[in-house]
Parts: sequence; structure tokens; C-alpha cells
Amino acid sequence: MSEVRTSGTGAQASVPLVELTNISKRYGDIAACDNVTLSMYPGQIHGILGENGAGKSTLMKVLIGLVKPDAGAISMNGVVQNITNPQSAARIGFGMVHQHFSLVEELTVWENVLLGEELKFDRARARVLVGEIGERFGLTVNPDARIRDLTAGLRQRVELIKCLRHDPRVVILDEPTSVLTPAESEQLFPTLREKVAIEGRCVALVSHKLAEVLHATDVITIMRQGRVIEHHETHQTDAPSLARAMVGREVSLRSQHAVLGASFVSQSAPSESTSTTDATDVLQIADACVSLGGVSKLKNLNLGVRAGEILGLAGVEGNGQRELGDVLSSLLTLDSGLISIDGTIVRTGKPGSMSRAGIAVIPEDRHDSGVVLTMSVAANLALQRMVDFSHNGVIDEVLLFESAQQLIDEFEIRCDGPNAPLHSLSGGNQQRVVLARELSAKPKVLVAAQPTRGLDVGAIEFMSDRLERAAASGIAILLISSDLDEILHLSHRISVISSGTIVGTLSRQEATMEQLGLLMGGLAL
Amino acid sequence: MVCLYTLFIGIALIASAVLVWATGGDWRAVLPALINGSIAKPGRWGQTLTEAAPLLLVALGAIVATRMNLVNIGQEGQLLIGAASAAMIATRGSGIFILIFSILIGALGGAIWSSVAAVLKYWRKVPEVVSTLLMVFIATQLTGFLLTKKSLLLDRSADRPNKTQTSGQLAANTRLPYIHIFGNDISIAVPISVCIALIVVFLLNRTIWGFKLDMVGMNARVAQRFGVSERSAGIIALAIGGALAGLAGSFMFTSGTANYRYTPGFANNVGWEGLLVALVSRNQPLVAVVIALVFAGLRTGSSFLASTGIQREIVDVVRALLVLALLLPPAYVFLRGNLHRDKNRGGK
Repeated sequence: MSEVRTSGTGAQASVPLVELTNISKRYGDIAACDNVTLSMYPGQIHGILGENGAGKSTLMKVLIGLVKPDAGAISMNGVVQNITNPQSAARIGFGMVHQHFSLVEELTVWENVLLGEELKFDRARARVLVGEIGERFGLTVNPDARIRDLTAGLRQRVELIKCLRHDPRVVILDEPTSVLTPAESEQLFPTLREKVAIEGRCVALVSHKLAEVLHATDVITIMRQGRVIEHHETHQTDAPSLARAMVGREVSLRSQHAVLGASFVSQSAPSESTSTTDATDVLQIADACVSLGGVSKLKNLNLGVRAGEILGLAGVEGNGQRELGDVLSSLLTLDSGLISIDGTIVRTGKPGSMSRAGIAVIPEDRHDSGVVLTMSVAANLALQRMVDFSHNGVIDEVLLFESAQQLIDEFEIRCDGPNAPLHSLSGGNQQRVVLARELSAKPKVLVAAQPTRGLDVGAIEFMSDRLERAAASGIAILLISSDLDEILHLSHRISVISSGTIVGTLSRQEATMEQLGLLMGGLAL
Repeated sequence: MVCLYTLFIGIALIASAVLVWATGGDWRAVLPALINGSIAKPGRWGQTLTEAAPLLLVALGAIVATRMNLVNIGQEGQLLIGAASAAMIATRGSGIFILIFSILIGALGGAIWSSVAAVLKYWRKVPEVVSTLLMVFIATQLTGFLLTKKSLLLDRSADRPNKTQTSGQLAANTRLPYIHIFGNDISIAVPISVCIALIVVFLLNRTIWGFKLDMVGMNARVAQRFGVSERSAGIIALAIGGALAGLAGSFMFTSGTANYRYTPGFANNVGWEGLLVALVSRNQPLVAVVIALVFAGLRTGSSFLASTGIQREIVDVVRALLVLALLLPPAYVFLRGNLHRDKNRGGK
């Protein structure tokens, strides 16, 4: 730690309030936190920046007693603390506002603030309390309002009040602005920051948004793959260097493959030149808007995918990718906007409409909308085409099994034959079943959402290879992924989604990690 | 499984014997009476078969709904509506065509009654468990009301027996024919119901329709993606359940369950016991054929038991004990399976 710190206003302290020493937490082979050492000082807002899976959330869960670390110590004011559960963490003085609201919509603000209280509900006291905290931290909200009538910004305030009423020394904010509008998130910080400084509290702000971290924090710690990568005074750094530190990686798996000769450049370069110049968009999404539970998920999203190209859609998770996938799976209806295939408009949210129009989907969560676990492999391979294996509505099992066996051989699906129940297959093989089925429908568009997540190296290669071959055969592919390596490896063009809208589109040659990092962080180029 | 059934039925029989003995009856008569009444005495197994038919139909309807995770427990009401609407048609005319027409109307009535629950579920999000159940009580009251008006269902003839509120009696040429075989009379509803069971098996397991129902039941989002609307599948599944229960009611009326009259309390728990048949057969239609026979045997056996001089109430308790004995083994196996799964999950 450097000695010179400028924490805006008041309380200059040289003794850390919280010290984390060598915190490690492993899940199987994956180190979620790897020897993390971190000091937080009173009166400061401490930004913790990193991609999905960088270990930010695990680290914070350690602090509030939700996760028990494998090794390491936590001390508060120099005294080592033993945090065993959320209650003991709260007693020591850790409070957290989670990314997703945990409010009861049917109850009023003061009732929500008092939830979990062991004492008797005292309406008058609670209302005064809500008013006091609101005034002190600039979080005014009507205590008698019902949560379901409040905007996301006001709900966020209620969450904050819920946390602050326990008078925590350390307030942890997990992605606090992910559900807020820009105006709302700008309002959130100024007063909070001032009070924190005066009262000697400490705020840990977990975020992947560069602008927010630069705007609201005093110091920034950047995490990547479970480790602390860099540590900066906020006023000494800028967005590009933060972006680089956040996404830049050591030699990764994929680039190794590229070096070893499974090179994608030679394959994709020619097809790109043909596809980008004169091809028209097969899939067109125009001004798509969706909001769920009062929160806007897609905002005027515009996107076009051409025949034979792989368009990578990069972005930090939770920025509308899941909703876009659901819309293209006929699971979600657009509030406004149009989706068309080859110029023909497709109705959204109508059962089977997207599938019939020629959109195949490898869903983000295959158990959610990709497979039927209790059905056989053969049935799962034919979900959308059962009619092809039937005469007058009666299923022809011989035909069904023959076709299934063909696909099992072609896609090297390891199973006990077509009759095996799908849940008996490994995750990678289940994913192959999804891929085989979706491609067997001869789609015009293939949406692949996080297609290689959780797969092993071999399965990843197989999937990548199949996607490239599908593109080469003229299918328009929309690759939705939060894995930048995957995006850079496979895509011909790259679009970046942030807060439900496309913030930029780059060709593969133009794109650099730094640019993508800036866009993913919500900054325009 | 067989051991479990033997054990539980044994316990139920011993408890029944003790009960009969304690209330001053002849406990040694219990088991022989049950067997004589259901199969052994002349003409009894024909009666058992005839009573099995409506139980089977009700069970089949419940099975279809369960395939897509819908719980229709309102068969007792759907059956009443079916029987009453069949009676309203059939007592107004005579002849084979009126017979067939009234049976179809009965099925339609049941279907419409259960479809109300479907409409409530898919348009107003009312759980079908609640709505089908509560509509049983509405059906009871509604059919009771029909029996108060001569213009509707009440017997129009002047010499109404004992002035009780029943419908008119079905004309002799409008009754469901019986098959006479080995001294037994078997209603023609029995082979028809078995055929329906076979058709249900075929539809569920061999057709695209059954496949779509399975898809909705096992993963509604996958079904939606591939063009199967949960709503329309659900409406059809519930309507089929109602139609089968209504058909059961029509068959009961036209095969003379209550002396070819529609009477208060006509359903006599057939709707509820049909649900138990579905439960014990663990939703397999062909197993349900056998289980329906067992339950029908209990019905005929216990009515025979009542004729040996044992009090009606005690007979009902005996029957309930035996039904419980049939329900416990599947429940035990189910619970043990859950325990195992939990343990395995905990071990991982």
C-alpha cells in the first residue's frame, strides 16, 4: 500500500479498518480466490473490479460469512475475527447489499426494513427509522409505499436502508447499479460517499462498470481469475488501463490452440471476406425492448446477423443476454420492436414461432430450455421434428431410432444407445445432443448462448469446430458469450451488449481486448 | 411389493375382525363375506366388473392430467354433472339413439365442467387443484337444484315413490345392454371402458399428441420453444378428464346403478375412489384396469358384508381400512425412494 491517499473529504486514517490476508477458496480444481490480500481503510469507497468469475463475489461472500475460506484470515481494526456465519459477520460489522433485490413486493417499505427482526413490529419506530436513515444518507423514500409500486432506483434505496440500519462498519455493495438507470446510479453515490467519509465507515463497491468505479471510488483493486492483479488510486488511473487489467490474460487455452496449428485465422479469414461484403442480414432485430418486473432488460436493441458469419455478442453477464436468448427461443414476448428472418417478421412469444421460422438455439442453460432430462436421447434429438418421424400422428419408433443413431454417430454422442434417458449422459454429451438436434433442423440462424460453459477442453474444441462448420455451410450464427477468448477465437464480427443495448460493433481485425473491455464496461469508444 | 401388500392387507383384515368382534358382530364372517360378495357367489363377479368400469374411467382421466403435471381431483363433481345431464336427456325419450346421445351429452357435460377449471387456471391463474375440488361442491348443489324442478330433472310422473326427490326412471328400451355369461350380468360399459383404457395407452405412448403432453409435463419451456402451448394442452387434458368422469356417470345411470334413476348422492364416492385407483396404479393405465377391479371388489364385497347383519357404519370402516392397506405400499416405496435420493445428495 502506498502511504499517500486522498480520500476526498475528512477522516484520513493510516490504519486499515479491514484486512484480508491470504484468503483462498477452491471449488474442485478451480480457485475462486487465490491468496487474496487486501486492505480497506475507513472513510473510503473501495472499488473491486473484475469480469465474471474473477472471484469478486466469492471474496465478498467470505466477508459476510456465506462462504468459509480454505485458508486465510480476516481482521477488523487489527483484531483477527472468526466469521462462521452471516450472523457473526453482521455482529462484527459487515453488511451487504446484494445484486438481486430481496424485497417482498406486497409489503411496504418499513415492513421490508424490519423483516428478519426478532423484536416486535413497531410501526411508528420503524417509520421514524426509515426517515432518519434516509435523511442521513440521502436515501429518502416514503416508508408507507408498497415495494411493487417503486422504481428500481427506489428499491435499491430500500435495500441500502435495510443494510445501513444495522449500523455496519463495512458496507458491501454488489453490482449496485446493474438494475438502475444511469440517472439513478448517479444519484446513488454523492451523499453516501460524503457520509461514509465523515463517519469513518468503509464501502466495498463490487462492479464491472468502469465508469461507475472511476466515478465513485477512492481506490480500485482489480481481480482476475481469483487473484488480485493490480491496485490503483482512482485518480491515478484511467479507463483504458483498467480495461486492460480487467480482461487481459496470460497465454490462454485458445491462443495455445491457435499457436499449435488449429488456427482459426486461416479458416475464417476467407469466409469473412465473402460474408461481410455483400451478404444481407438473415436475422434482424430492430429496436427490441423488454422489461421484466419493472426492470428494463433490453433497450432498443438493434442487431443483424448475416448468412455464413459468426457474430459474437460480447458482454458482462446480466446485461440482457439471457432475455435476448429467451426472445429468440419464443419464450419471451417483446414489449416493442421487431424480429425478422429473411425479411419476414416473426411473432415473439408465440409457442414454436422462432423454431418454425428457422431459428435454432443452444440455450445458456440446457436444463432450462434445451433438453427434457427424463426423456430418451432419441426423443431429445427429435423434439422439434417429431412430425417427421410419424405417420398420421403415430410415432414410428424404427424411423426415430434410425435417425437418432445416425446423429449419435455423427456427433460422437457417448450414450447407451438411443433409448438411454438423457440424464444418464454427461454434461458435454447432453450439449452435443442439443447441438445435433438444433443443426438437424437445417436452421437459417443458430443462436449459441454460452455454448462451451462448463465443458472440458475436448468438448470445447468439438463445439467450436461445429460452429465454424455450420457458419461455413451458410448458417447465420449469433454467438452469445461472456468469454472474450471464445468470442475473439470464433467471431467474424463482434458486437458488445451493455445494459440491454448494443454499444458497439467491431470487425474481428479492429477488435482489441482493450476496446472490448471499454465497451463491456459501458463506455462508448 | 407383493410382500408389502400381503402384510398391510393382513393387518387391515385383522383390525377389521377385531372391530367387528368388539362391536358385537361375527368376526369370522368378515373375510368369507368379502370374498363371497365380490367373486364367489353366483352373479357377483359380473357385478364387480360392472362397478369397476366407472372407477377405471375416472382413473384414466386423472392419469391423462397427471401426465402433464395437472392435478384434477374434481371427478366426483364431473361425474355428477355427467350423470345428471345424461339423465335429463334420457328420461325425456326412449330408444337406442336417445341412449347413445344421452351418454355423449353426459361426457360433454363432464368435459365442460372440468374445462371451467382450465379456463380459471390459464386465464386467471387459479390452481386447478383448488378449482376442481371446490367445483365438486358446486356440482352437488347444482344437481340437487335440478332435482327440485319438474321442468328440469325431477320425476314428472304423479306416483313418485315416497315423494323422494329422484329423476324419472329410464325407459326399458333406453337402458345399457348387459352381457349374460356364466350366470353373470356384465354391463356393456365394461368392455367399452377397457377399450378406452387401451386407446389412452396408445395415445399417451405412441402418438405425437402423447409426446407433446409429456413435453409440457416434463419441461414446459422446452415445449413452448418447440411449439407446444401449455395452455391448449392443459385445456385438452383437463377436458378429457372431465369427459371420462362424465362418461362414467352416464354409464352408471344407464346401467342402473340407482335403479335407473338419478338420485341425490348418486356418485357414491366413485369419483374419489377412481382417484385412488390412479394413485395405487401409479398412473399406468393398464395397471389401473386391475386396480379398478380390486376396488370394485371391495365395493361389492362390503355391500355383501352389510347384508350379513353387520352395521353399515362398521362395514364402511372395514372398507376404508382395506383401501388404506392398498394405498400404503406405494406411499411407502415413494417415501423410501425420496429418502434414498436425499441421502445420496447429501453424500456428494
